[in-house]
Amino acid sequence: MSQLQARFFTENKKYVVDDVPFSIPAASEVQDLSNVINKLLEAKNASHTTVEFDFLVRGLFLRTQLSSHMETEGISTEDVVEIEYVERLTAPEPEECMMHDDWISSVAADSEWILTGSYDKTARIWSVEGKAVMTVAGHSDVVKDVAWVKRDGLTSLLLTASLDQTLLLWEWNSERNKVKARHCCRGHTGSVDTVATDPTGSKFCSGSWDKMLKIWSAVPTDEADEVEEPGDRPRKKQKTQQLGLTRTPLMTLSGHNEAVSSVLWCDSEEVCSASWDHTIRMWDVETGEMKTTLTGSKVFNCISYSPLCRRLASGSTDRHIRLWDPRTKDGSLVLLSLTSHTGWVTAVKWAPSHEHQLVSGSLDNLVKLWDTRSCKAPLYDLAAHEDKVFCVDWTESGLMLSGGADNKLYTYRSSACQMDVGA
Amino acid sequence: MEESSKRSEQRKEMEKERKKGEKKRRKEEEEEEEEILIFNHKSAEKEKEDEDLSDSEDSVFSGLEDSGSDSEDDDDDDEDLKVDQNLSQQVKKEEEDVQSSLKKKDEEEEVKRDEYEHDSSDEEDIRNTVGNIPMEWYKDFPHIGYDLDGKKIYKPIRNKDELDDFLDKMENPDYWRTVQDKQTGSDVVLSDEQVELVKRLQRGQFGDVNFNEYQPQVEFFTQEVMLHPVTNRPADKRSFIPSLLEKDKVSKLVHAIKMGWIKPRRDSRDDSRGRYYDLWASEDTSNLARHRMHLPAPKIPLPGHHESYNPPPEYLFTDEERALWEQQDPVDRKFPFVPRSFSSLRLVPAFPRFIHERFERCLDLYLCPRQRKMRVNVNPEDLIPKLPKPKDLQPFPTTQSLVYRGHSGLVRSISVSPSGQWLASGSDDGSVRFWEICSSRCLKTVQVGGAVKSVAWNPNPSVCLLAVALDSAVLILSPALADRQVVLSSDRLLSAPQEAEPIEGDGLVNWSDTEGEELNQGIRLKIQHPKAVQQVAWHTKGDYLASVMPDHSSHLQVLIHQVSRRRSQNPFRKNKGLVQSVSFHPIRPYFFVATQRSVRIYNLVKQDLTKKLHANSKWISSMAVHPGGDHVICGSYDCKLSWFDLDLSTKPYRMLRHHRKAVRSVAYHRLYPLFASAADDGSIIVCHGTVYNDLLQNPLIVPVKVLRGHVITHELGVLDVTFHPTQPWIFSSGADATIRLFT
Repeated sequence: MSQLQARFFTENKKYVVDDVPFSIPAASEVQDLSNVINKLLEAKNASHTTVEFDFLVRGLFLRTQLSSHMETEGISTEDVVEIEYVERLTAPEPEECMMHDDWISSVAADSEWILTGSYDKTARIWSVEGKAVMTVAGHSDVVKDVAWVKRDGLTSLLLTASLDQTLLLWEWNSERNKVKARHCCRGHTGSVDTVATDPTGSKFCSGSWDKMLKIWSAVPTDEADEVEEPGDRPRKKQKTQQLGLTRTPLMTLSGHNEAVSSVLWCDSEEVCSASWDHTIRMWDVETGEMKTTLTGSKVFNCISYSPLCRRLASGSTDRHIRLWDPRTKDGSLVLLSLTSHTGWVTAVKWAPSHEHQLVSGSLDNLVKLWDTRSCKAPLYDLAAHEDKVFCVDWTESGLMLSGGADNKLYTYRSSACQMDVGA
Repeated sequence: MEESSKRSEQRKEMEKERKKGEKKRRKEEEEEEEEILIFNHKSAEKEKEDEDLSDSEDSVFSGLEDSGSDSEDDDDDDEDLKVDQNLSQQVKKEEEDVQSSLKKKDEEEEVKRDEYEHDSSDEEDIRNTVGNIPMEWYKDFPHIGYDLDGKKIYKPIRNKDELDDFLDKMENPDYWRTVQDKQTGSDVVLSDEQVELVKRLQRGQFGDVNFNEYQPQVEFFTQEVMLHPVTNRPADKRSFIPSLLEKDKVSKLVHAIKMGWIKPRRDSRDDSRGRYYDLWASEDTSNLARHRMHLPAPKIPLPGHHESYNPPPEYLFTDEERALWEQQDPVDRKFPFVPRSFSSLRLVPAFPRFIHERFERCLDLYLCPRQRKMRVNVNPEDLIPKLPKPKDLQPFPTTQSLVYRGHSGLVRSISVSPSGQWLASGSDDGSVRFWEICSSRCLKTVQVGGAVKSVAWNPNPSVCLLAVALDSAVLILSPALADRQVVLSSDRLLSAPQEAEPIEGDGLVNWSDTEGEELNQGIRLKIQHPKAVQQVAWHTKGDYLASVMPDHSSHLQVLIHQVSRRRSQNPFRKNKGLVQSVSFHPIRPYFFVATQRSVRIYNLVKQDLTKKLHANSKWISSMAVHPGGDHVICGSYDCKLSWFDLDLSTKPYRMLRHHRKAVRSVAYHRLYPLFASAADDGSIIVCHGTVYNDLLQNPLIVPVKVLRGHVITHELGVLDVTFHPTQPWIFSSGADATIRLFT
């Protein structure tokens, strides 16, 4: 049995072992290494309780035998191997299940409240504990996307985008539990599929099937913008349909050749949009010009940006999740492909507090938790849903959410995640 | 150079030694010569040799020593030759030589006594010592000179007068040969030889009688290259240096040629071309090739030990071998005979198979190939046309992505909205459903109250209308799934003022607005037909609508409706067969009508038949027109798919027989070079079909993917197939009440 020289280190002060090389069997797997660390910790500290660890060899998770992993990664077995260990993320377990009346199209979570959009033409507000708080009804068609604009104190602003080609800006008072439509954003000529609020909360951007991106002001006012309505439209009907004051877009960004499927703000100046025309485009909000284009080969369903690792993750109809560097000026440079789903990837979200983790939902009913350090296979498959998954989200506190065509919104929590946040 | 100098030094040394030896020998000889004074030829020859050697000694440094020795040999040879040629002369000469040499010997011996006593080399006898002066100086003296003793030589007394002279001339017979010696003043009578000599000299001949002036000349320097050099003289340096003179001459010539002063000689071969002709020019080359390909006749194998009359025992058959030989078929036998052993050749009987063997030999010769047959070596795989790999032809749909569930009956027809957002489907359960493509969500269901045979979305993107064929009616639906403006414009199209005057065909169909519940569902118009409608098809502009009512016995099978003016017409007066499917040309005013056996193309402007395509199939089920308009595919119930190139022929350019059951539907993609066929075997076959703008290049058709997913129910598989307008996706509807999206 061949032996390897390995040195273990960790960033968690709680589990530090001596910085000396150990001789370990080459065929040892994660469980064996975990036992070794636990033994060492027990020897140091009698009160230590067994903890499961995960191991990283040169930034990649160890998933097979140590020797075969090093062989595939081309690491010399002659030298002392530096092995980092982290506390293993326990499998996220579904915590709550919130039943809706219809398919859930979108979810936006806050540390306190969860906002979901549904195919029953309403949006709902839930507490993180799973209690239904509010139903926001007003759209005449399916709510395709929802977003929080601002949450300060008891009043919050929220947005709903719908198939009826409008967006509604709502004001919600959580104390009185009253919701009021402040503005009706008109201007799109196709179903509004995606909406995103800028980091400052003063603007938002919407993407529609009509191939346009529109920038709107998110600040509620008491005056309606002037809208040129078609002359033959009966005035009376317009009044009855109107919910809140009409708002017109500040800016229209056109350039996509097909429907815009997903939009987000990279920072307060830059908007990134994914489209069915196989491109991801970066836009300068100040000038309204397109900055860069990342070209893929398949329709993009969703994108997500992580300010921690500054990567863009995209989910497309060819079952792959791709990681991009949005700062590259030209060419489509796919940094990494994560392949495990068997259906269209409909939703992807980076962890807000962890630079390596992301969660994805797909039409194959699965939600997968990924770590970019282990790109061959996902960390965990979350198979709670019984039908297509349409949306996923991740709160600051490490709570994962997913909703889909089985009318259920699941929240998941992973123990280690919580500890990370606590630490 | 060094070597040559060394060699010359060596040679010098050798010569020195030779000289020394020579001197020794000479001394010895001189000593001996006193004793041996026997004069014979041998000794003389020896002497001569010595002389010759001494000659060669002299020429040591002349650079000709080798040739000198050669010439010595040559001399000897010459000598021998002369001996052979004229012996007598030779003998005389030798004797003379001997004598002269003897004389020399004597002289050498008597050098000290009198050197010039008998100097025969000086022919003049020096009796008068006045020397070579004009004798007239002594004219007035009585003497003519002085003899050797210094005494005066007196002139002879010349008292002869003219008379005496005359008498002497008359009387003296030797007068004519008497001359006066001016030296001595005496008369000399010339001897006969002397007279002869004078005569010969006067004639300009050589004085010596024996001299042959016509001797054969030995030429040393000829054009023939001799084996040995005549001289050992090294080649001159100038023979290596290009001659400046020649260069000058050549350059002058070149200049003259360039300036055209000298014309180059015309090629004399030119006229020879006309004079001679190629005798074998017309010879058939195949005849020569045949000779080249000649095969020699097969040879009889040489007899082996088996055929010996007394073969070694190992060549004789054992009992087993013999039994085997007898059992074997004569053709399979290794030998046609059994080896047998005889003690002597005398005992060998007659060969019983002789005639047979000769006959076989003749057969061999007769049947053997006399010509090498050029067999074409064709690999059967090479005959298959080279098709690009499907991997290189991406994108095309590969996997099932979404299933649209909701219908309860078999879905006969599907249609995708021009924007690519919505999918409409018509089913036997009497409903038309509208689906959101990206989520497979059914957003709208319209109960139409009858099995829907066909749905068709209006291809005009500025209106949002769906034509639905059910039973004997065509419904126009406005699903309100688009922008308000689009909905308004489609409403406007439908509510256009009705034409007042009656039009042809008006009595056949009944246009009616819908009311109440149907209007709420979105049904806006109802066109009542006299017979059951099987198919509806829109024109690209979205104003004209064609409906098909298949009927064997009527000429009223196809109707073309104009929606905006609400009028209908029957374009055909004659029944040309059961109409299966119709389609408008995407660009030009043509109309495609597929009957059971053929596809007819009509020009709508000229109102005549343009082309008739023969499908070579029993029953056409469906038809699709390429977005370019120059190609048509037809699916048939006998499992075939035929591709027509309208520019090429009225026969199918390609027949594809990939399906195992009846083909129900065919479709072209609007943008990608893809087409698909769906069949009752539950499979959809996607093919790549690139159409080139170049008229000379035929379309490239490659089957790329078989898509399966539909469950076969009631022996029916996939009923309709259609492509997404912008993405390489394909939708299929089946008898299992589902619609599937493959991406």
